[in-house]
Amino acid sequence: MATVKEQTQKTYRLKKRRWGMVVDEDRCTGCEACVLACHAENNIAIVGEGQAVRGRAMHWIRVERYYEGKFPDVKVKYQPVFCQQCGDAPCEVVCPTYASYHNAEGLNAQVYNRCIGTRYCANACPYDDRFFNFENPSWDKPLNLQLNPDVSVRSVGIMEKCTFCIQRIKAAEMNAEAAKRQLADGEFNPACVQSCPTEALVFGDLDDPESKVSRLAGSNRGSKLLEDLGTKPSVTYLRRGTWYDEQNT
Amino acid sequence: MMNKTPEQINQDLLLPLNSTSWRYYVAVAALGSLVIMGLCAWGYQLDNGIGVSGLDRPVFWGVYITDFVFWIGISHAGTLISAILRVSNAKWRRPVTRCAEAITVFSLLIAATFPVIHLGRPWLFFWLIPYPSERGIWPQFRSPLLWDFFAINTYLIGSFSFLLLPSFPDFALVRDRSTGWRRRIYSIVSLGWRGTPKQWHRLEMAMRIMAVAIIPVAVSVHTIVSWDFAMAPVPGWHSTIFGPYFVAGAIFSGIAALIIAMAVLRKLLHLEEYLEPIHFDHLGKLLLAMSLIWFYFVFAESLTIWYGNEPSEMTVFWVTRSGQFSWLFWTMVICNVIIPAPILSVKRLRSKIGWTVVASIPVIVGMWLERFLIVVPSLSHGRLPYAHGGYRPSWVEIAITVGSFAAMPLLYLLFIKVVPIISIWELKLGQHEKPAEAPATVPGIAESVPASGR
Amino acid sequence: MRAIYGLYPDPDSAQRAVEVLQDAERALGFKEKQIVVLSGEPYEDHPFGQRDKKTIMPWIAAAGGLVGGLLGFWFISFTQKAYPLITGGMQIVTKWPDGIITYELTMLGAILTTVATLLITARIPDWRRHVFDPGVGEGKILIGVVNAPESCQDEIRRRLCSAGAGDVKEFAG
Repeated sequence: MATVKEQTQKTYRLKKRRWGMVVDEDRCTGCEACVLACHAENNIAIVGEGQAVRGRAMHWIRVERYYEGKFPDVKVKYQPVFCQQCGDAPCEVVCPTYASYHNAEGLNAQVYNRCIGTRYCANACPYDDRFFNFENPSWDKPLNLQLNPDVSVRSVGIMEKCTFCIQRIKAAEMNAEAAKRQLADGEFNPACVQSCPTEALVFGDLDDPESKVSRLAGSNRGSKLLEDLGTKPSVTYLRRGTWYDEQNT
Repeated sequence: MMNKTPEQINQDLLLPLNSTSWRYYVAVAALGSLVIMGLCAWGYQLDNGIGVSGLDRPVFWGVYITDFVFWIGISHAGTLISAILRVSNAKWRRPVTRCAEAITVFSLLIAATFPVIHLGRPWLFFWLIPYPSERGIWPQFRSPLLWDFFAINTYLIGSFSFLLLPSFPDFALVRDRSTGWRRRIYSIVSLGWRGTPKQWHRLEMAMRIMAVAIIPVAVSVHTIVSWDFAMAPVPGWHSTIFGPYFVAGAIFSGIAALIIAMAVLRKLLHLEEYLEPIHFDHLGKLLLAMSLIWFYFVFAESLTIWYGNEPSEMTVFWVTRSGQFSWLFWTMVICNVIIPAPILSVKRLRSKIGWTVVASIPVIVGMWLERFLIVVPSLSHGRLPYAHGGYRPSWVEIAITVGSFAAMPLLYLLFIKVVPIISIWELKLGQHEKPAEAPATVPGIAESVPASGR
Repeated sequence: MRAIYGLYPDPDSAQRAVEVLQDAERALGFKEKQIVVLSGEPYEDHPFGQRDKKTIMPWIAAAGGLVGGLLGFWFISFTQKAYPLITGGMQIVTKWPDGIITYELTMLGAILTTVATLLITARIPDWRRHVFDPGVGEGKILIGVVNAPESCQDEIRRRLCSAGAGDVKEFAG
């Protein structure tokens, strides 16, 4: 009889890898190329104007805009927010069907087939980064031809969220395994990171001390979103550099 | 207490089973069409997806969950109150218990449909049930929804037994006084009850055990419903007060529902001599106590949030107290305390049935609003201000809610045609219990009788 | 089955009837078990209503609760180990939530055992024909003897009448 620990390890085939991301707010220009790239990569439904007005738009990544100061002396702060892939995620525990669970590489995986649509996970998420298919998605011709074959299309009644482009992660891992080599840092990137013109987003393995992402995550500019909730997010936000503050004081 | 022969009691209480007026058919037809309307709305939602509701991001839970919590709350009318009265051996409980237990079973049945209505893929609701499936996966017991599943099923089984067990002798009575196919049906459902001393002793012992067992179950059910909210790190939800706060609110709305049901039954079935003003007076005292306890909880919760001054909690606090939801909040306070508490404090008003009903109806409204105010403002004003949103129920949600409010009296109307709404044998038992042995009335809940003979 | 019985309008006369039957049971050759008492409500303040009062139902219910709780606890920890998935950084066998389910199944065990014990010990459901009279529902108390010897029928009848039965009837089924 295997112990619980062995059983868990068997289920998980644990890898020494923890994917994470760094968002440099100093570099973000709010261009929203990431939002577009994410939509294209992950077959996210375009809900249309009427639904979007009702608050049902689905953008796995959104660029939050915060205005500081009074007109005309206004500073705009851009903050791209997407699933923080929490270490201790509140969304995972509340799911009755394990549709939301923690995978072996530190991601909050969402198994669409298991989801019955209680929407509890979306309530529990403090970052409002879970999206629900209120309607069946549809794509006008010829947009249906641009769907990504590596990503399943979600039907009505299912919760979905940022996966850190798990299809790209899996593909890269399989390629590396086939070639019998280690994954190199920066060998592949999620769509949002790939499309960011200012390299405000950096993706990589947080458990590799040499990777770019783990070096940046250790920056003294770094902080986590709503860190005091104890969710242990995998995303680090780098606040704007001191040069900015110095110029404006 | 009235003095009637057993035969008179039989005739009075079995009357609703034997004669039906045209008004009854009209009422059943009216309520039935409202229920059908609700079912049609649900069918429309099944066909078109949950998108036909007014739900959005970030308000993923809305009226359906409000209804669910509300009906679970109403279910505390019955079994809990009737069990407390049984355990404390309050003599005045006898005409009240079955009426209350029926409310429990029906409102639980209604409540249990709402989580299914609410699902994004309702046809897969059975994935909540732990059964060995070919998928190899089991439900997650860490989820409060699973706790709900177990708690509600335990409560449903428990309160159904609680309603059914003391009905066997009355079924036997109906069996003996009817003919033809009715006699055959009641012979089956009365399970061949004859009334030997052994059967009576076992029944009474079983009811005593059930009464003791059902109280902690009822408390756990609404506590767990509150934990659906309290377990999530949502401002306004993540609070330790939620368990007792919900239980108190549930008993509060439950008693109000019971008073209304009893008043209606009294008029409808001509039970004036059985449901006396004294019963309403006693229940009115309970309602007053619960109203004050409820206010205490609201005050304690509000004060803790306000004094703590935590920004995201305060956002929800102000949006309910003075923002867009404030009119609902203050309506709730008026309905739950400002109207009922003064009425029920005055003995002269409380001992009039009309006035206890006047005090109870706003409580139903107020408690529904309370659940709505727990569900919606916290979700619409989450921790990240960028993702704040709003919510407006759609016609589908309103139609289903109206249907559920019609389903309750409909089920009740159907019930009184097949089961005597007052437990006949318990009423008779109360008549021949020796009043000389009873001690002076204890003010408040219980008029106790000594252990002998019970 | 045959029976001879009388209907008594009040518990005092019913008590008298039981007593006169008990006095005669040895002489007439039937056992106390054969005396049948049926009433439309429990009469626990009279000795005849105290028959068969002893029961261990509360203990059975407690045992049922214990079994329910243990089975419940075993079941959930089994399912958690059978397909271990990590969520929210919690342990695989999560003690606090398991406690909640264990509690509910304890209560469910106790409730179901109580119902089952009631049905079994009160001998219901039993749809066979037994001695019965609809008068029981009208507040009368039925006292009689089941399967009494042929020879003493008249004596039983006389005794039932003497205790105050308006009418002594016979039942055959």
